Amino acid sequence: MAIPVIMPRQGQSVETCIITKWFRQKGDTVKSGDLLFSYETDKAAFDVESPSDGTILEIFYGNGAEVPVLVNVALIGNAGEKTDQITTQLSGESIPPEINHQSFETLVQETSVLQADAADETREMKIRISPRAKRYAEKKGLNFYGIRGSGPNGRIICSDIENAVSPTEGKMDQVDVPGDEFTEQPLSNVRKLIARTMHVSLQNSAQLTHHMSADVRNILEARRKIKEGLKNGSEKQDITLNDMICLCVIKAIKKFPEVNAHFFDDRIKMFNKVHLGIAVDTPRGLMVPSVKNADDMDLQTLSRELKSSAEACKKGNINPELIKSTAASFTVSNLGNYGVEMFTPVVNLPQTAILGVCTIINRPADLGNSTFGFVPYIGLSLTYDHRAIDGGPATLFLREIKEQIEKFSH
Amino acid sequence: MPKSQNIDPKEVRKPQFLEFGKIPVNQYNKSIDEEKDSFSTDDFVRIYHDMVIIREFETMLNLIKTKNEYKGIPYNHPGPAHLSIGQEASAVGMAYNLDIDDFIFGSHRSHGEILAKGLSAINKLDEDVLYSIMKNYFGGSALKVVEKGFAGPMKELAKHFLLYGALAEIFARENGFNKGLGGSMHAFFTPFGIYPNNAIVGGSGDISVGAALYKKINRKPGIVVCNIGDASMGCGPVWEGISFATMDQYNTLWDGEYKGGLPLIFNFMNNLYGMGGQTMGETMGYGILARIGAGVNPEMMHAERVDGYNPLAVIDAFRRKKEILNEKNGPVLLDTLTYRISGHSPSDASSYRSKEEVEAWQKEDSIIAYGNTLTASGIAKQEQLDEIRDEAGELLTHILKLAVSDEISPRLDLQKDPDVIGTMMFSNQSADKMEERDPEVLIPLEDVPRVMSFKNKERFFKDKEGKPVSKARLFQLRDGIFEAIIDRFYKDPTLAAWGEENRDWGGAFAVYRGLTEALPYHRLFNSPISEGAIVGTAIGYGMCGGRVIAEIMYCDFLGRSGDEVFNQLPKWQAMSGNIIKMPVVIRVSVGSKYGAQHSQDWSSLVAHIPGLKVVFPATPYDAKGLMNSALQGTDPVIFFESQRLYDTGEMFQNSGVPEGYYEIPLGEPDIKRSGEDLTILTIGATLYNAIKSADILVRDYGIRAEIIDARSLVPFNYMPVIESVKKTGKIVLASDASARGSFLKEMAQTITEIAFDYLDAPPVVVGSRNWIIPAHEMENAFFPQPEWILDAVHEKIMPLKGHVCKSDFTSAKSLKLNKEGV
Repeated sequence: MAIPVIMPRQGQSVETCIITKWFRQKGDTVKSGDLLFSYETDKAAFDVESPSDGTILEIFYGNGAEVPVLVNVALIGNAGEKTDQITTQLSGESIPPEINHQSFETLVQETSVLQADAADETREMKIRISPRAKRYAEKKGLNFYGIRGSGPNGRIICSDIENAVSPTEGKMDQVDVPGDEFTEQPLSNVRKLIARTMHVSLQNSAQLTHHMSADVRNILEARRKIKEGLKNGSEKQDITLNDMICLCVIKAIKKFPEVNAHFFDDRIKMFNKVHLGIAVDTPRGLMVPSVKNADDMDLQTLSRELKSSAEACKKGNINPELIKSTAASFTVSNLGNYGVEMFTPVVNLPQTAILGVCTIINRPADLGNSTFGFVPYIGLSLTYDHRAIDGGPATLFLREIKEQIEKFSH
Repeated sequence: MPKSQNIDPKEVRKPQFLEFGKIPVNQYNKSIDEEKDSFSTDDFVRIYHDMVIIREFETMLNLIKTKNEYKGIPYNHPGPAHLSIGQEASAVGMAYNLDIDDFIFGSHRSHGEILAKGLSAINKLDEDVLYSIMKNYFGGSALKVVEKGFAGPMKELAKHFLLYGALAEIFARENGFNKGLGGSMHAFFTPFGIYPNNAIVGGSGDISVGAALYKKINRKPGIVVCNIGDASMGCGPVWEGISFATMDQYNTLWDGEYKGGLPLIFNFMNNLYGMGGQTMGETMGYGILARIGAGVNPEMMHAERVDGYNPLAVIDAFRRKKEILNEKNGPVLLDTLTYRISGHSPSDASSYRSKEEVEAWQKEDSIIAYGNTLTASGIAKQEQLDEIRDEAGELLTHILKLAVSDEISPRLDLQKDPDVIGTMMFSNQSADKMEERDPEVLIPLEDVPRVMSFKNKERFFKDKEGKPVSKARLFQLRDGIFEAIIDRFYKDPTLAAWGEENRDWGGAFAVYRGLTEALPYHRLFNSPISEGAIVGTAIGYGMCGGRVIAEIMYCDFLGRSGDEVFNQLPKWQAMSGNIIKMPVVIRVSVGSKYGAQHSQDWSSLVAHIPGLKVVFPATPYDAKGLMNSALQGTDPVIFFESQRLYDTGEMFQNSGVPEGYYEIPLGEPDIKRSGEDLTILTIGATLYNAIKSADILVRDYGIRAEIIDARSLVPFNYMPVIESVKKTGKIVLASDASARGSFLKEMAQTITEIAFDYLDAPPVVVGSRNWIIPAHEMENAFFPQPEWILDAVHEKIMPLKGHVCKSDFTSAKSLKLNKEGV
């Protein structure tokens, strides 16, 4: 039986060795202890002696070959012996290193996707806020966009949120008044939310309001036609004055993208689409649902969407995502029904402006040819954040709304 | 220097010559017939047998390593195997005369010594005792394996047990002598008197001295043999161990039965090479190693070179040397000349020695030569010897099969219990004393002058009228440490303390003042200036079962005991499989005023090393309570003290430092002052500067800081800190350690991870500068000052209205300094 000569393992880290020189050839007879070949590892050189007397029947690896350790290098046996059975198979236990390149690449890809996602999110969220302050703001339902951070590098720290929530905390003296003169009710959550949002808005931005009036003879005529059409069946859907005003506003917004935006301390996010917020009075308090992509809608669609949003708010089943201040890009608040002649609506931060729609008043006007008469005018009150928009563009925007209303046709 | 010994200038200035006596080299020359009086035929044959067993064991490992196979059994052993083929006669000769009570320590190349001592112990032990040892070791797990299907005499069974326990340990199997956690270079089996081998060259050089001290101080029977290689003669700790072992005081100052030399043999297994370096002719200059003894002490360490290729010569030498030790004339230096036929390790190409040299030694092979002697003298027939060799091969085949089987010999299941090694890092026991007997003291505790003086001390820093107490009347931090230590000296008879200036001086910082009057020399003594050996001997003392306090005078000197603190002290509990305990307290004093090499806080370095407990109290109350806990435990504790605080009184416990015994658990931080707005966590003396900064914060900015004193670094209960951070949202961490890589950074990271959502700012570390420590007059630019904490708060946490920063804590500065590496 032929005896294999193996490449010894010299040290645990050695996986292959290089045969530097064979001192014998195939067919040579050798004695136990005769030098067969020399080989080297990365660290040192070694010699291999013949393990027994016999003839070299086979040499599997020649000079210069790199041979895995524990592999058969040669066979020694009796001349003429059959050697088919023995090849260079590994002798004993050996574990070749396995590296799964495929899975590694996948892993790299997945990692880079994750990183890209994270980077996108960072671009969205460049506001600096401490984890504690953020947590506290969320607990208090406070929108911290626009809050000025007093920490290092403008970081919003917890005390900033605390000040935003209750700036006068501890300063209001409690005066004891004998009973029966008032009742106290705890604030509902919606009330608390409104209170904070409105207060934060006024505290953290530079708001001012421009007033203007628009001749509504065309729009009232359109409204009259629609009502008539409903009666004779040529129109299927009622359209309110508010729907029409909103359509005019949307058209104006498309010309003044800076009002269709969110303002942050270090940047302005301008929207390509118009997401119109509409203030709705509900039994629980004011809500501002957003109609997404309102600029894609015709009057009928817009009307339907505004109506269904308002109803959802009143019923209380509105999607909470739609009533966040970040859901809308611009807001309209209509107090015309209540006879309000002018007001200063409060900007829903981080939005940059809000349009207040007032009641219609007949005003004396020059009808041409030195004839004066009464013309119905609707009051428009535009509050804007001067941090984001200057007075000039704001005025031009308001005038564009006025013109859209005045040239309205249906 | 003790006052009892005067150094007379007239005497020491006298001219004279030093003369050295003769050191015997290979002087054994008895014939086998002469030895027949000392050995029976069985003894002669047993010596041969033991050598053959070792040879076969090592040959088997060599084949496993190089060919992954022994006698048809395939196995892959990735771990180390430093073999001693050729050195069998030295090992067997060394162990032959040793009793169970005699301990051996080893090196990385000690398989042969383990087996030789084990076989020697088996031969000497009563069968019932032997069986009881095997049965009780780890619940008899190894015994069950070798007992299965075994029919034969008890001593044969024990041989199987020894070979299996050692081999299973080398292969990292749970049935191994140390649960597979020691391995080839650390295996040991204390019931047979086999103490740790050591993978660090010369590692046993000072540890074994500690073991000898344990025997001497606690009057335990037996001697200690330190088996180390010739090349370890180049290692500092070995020289330190020799210095420690040969101090004059054992003969001049230690009293009564404690008088006399250590029962210790430094046995240099001199195979003439340190890995590939030739110690004789290349890397050392002694020529013949035994020469070293001549310079060490007047006894020349009874040094001798013995022919380690002749087992009878070695046996003869050990018998003679043991007598010297029994007469209390130790220690002894033995140069046991031998030769390693095998490589340093299986990857050794022997490129540093010629084939002719190896062949020449093979011709002198100790087993063949001894066998020939036996047959020539008619003691044994060749067939009998051949049979011994065949049987050894069969036995090793049988043992190997058992040891490589994953079913019979599984490893610790780290899948099932991923934390099992963690459970072995510490023994976590509570023990008043390590042994039951009366402690030896010189006077009753209540008569110790310093203890008496405490009656007149104020244990709080202010008196009843609220006035600060004068230093002379104040119970200080050093008193707190002293009170805990002297209490333990009167409780635990094994407790001993040593270090530089520990005795008459009372320690460099007067912590031990008063102990000299209370304790005999053997319980409190001065050491040579050998920090490595101060710790190394404590390790040896501790692992044998004694409790010990070793002192490193300045923290900066810890570097001198680097190997002992980093590689030895923390490792042996777990590497023993929890067989041994390590009740060792290392007192480390952090300096100030003395500049760059005497003022460093290196607590972070030791806290980094798994297996050490690390504390750093800053108040007398904490110092006493933590020292009590450290001395009650069974784990190694690095006990940091600050030289700035030794004379500090207790400022936080209004009732002062209790007179009685109390423990503060290691690992519990302490809230020194409550606050709502900011947490300041300190380590060590910085506590007091943090308090100053907290005073400014509340006075000038209305910010109420909560101050937490870490007290411990390892272990550390983060919960009180996390609770505080949940409350305040802000944390500053401060200590005197250089900021880069300090333990504060570790704490800051852990706090961030656990309490991220509660943080209002990143945890801010205020540490010392990454410089050399300048002179005392300039120290305020180096160590954290109260203003630094304010600056850090202002710059990194929250703006302090109107605050003007004096130091630069901006990110830009931090980036710049890091880039510069300062």
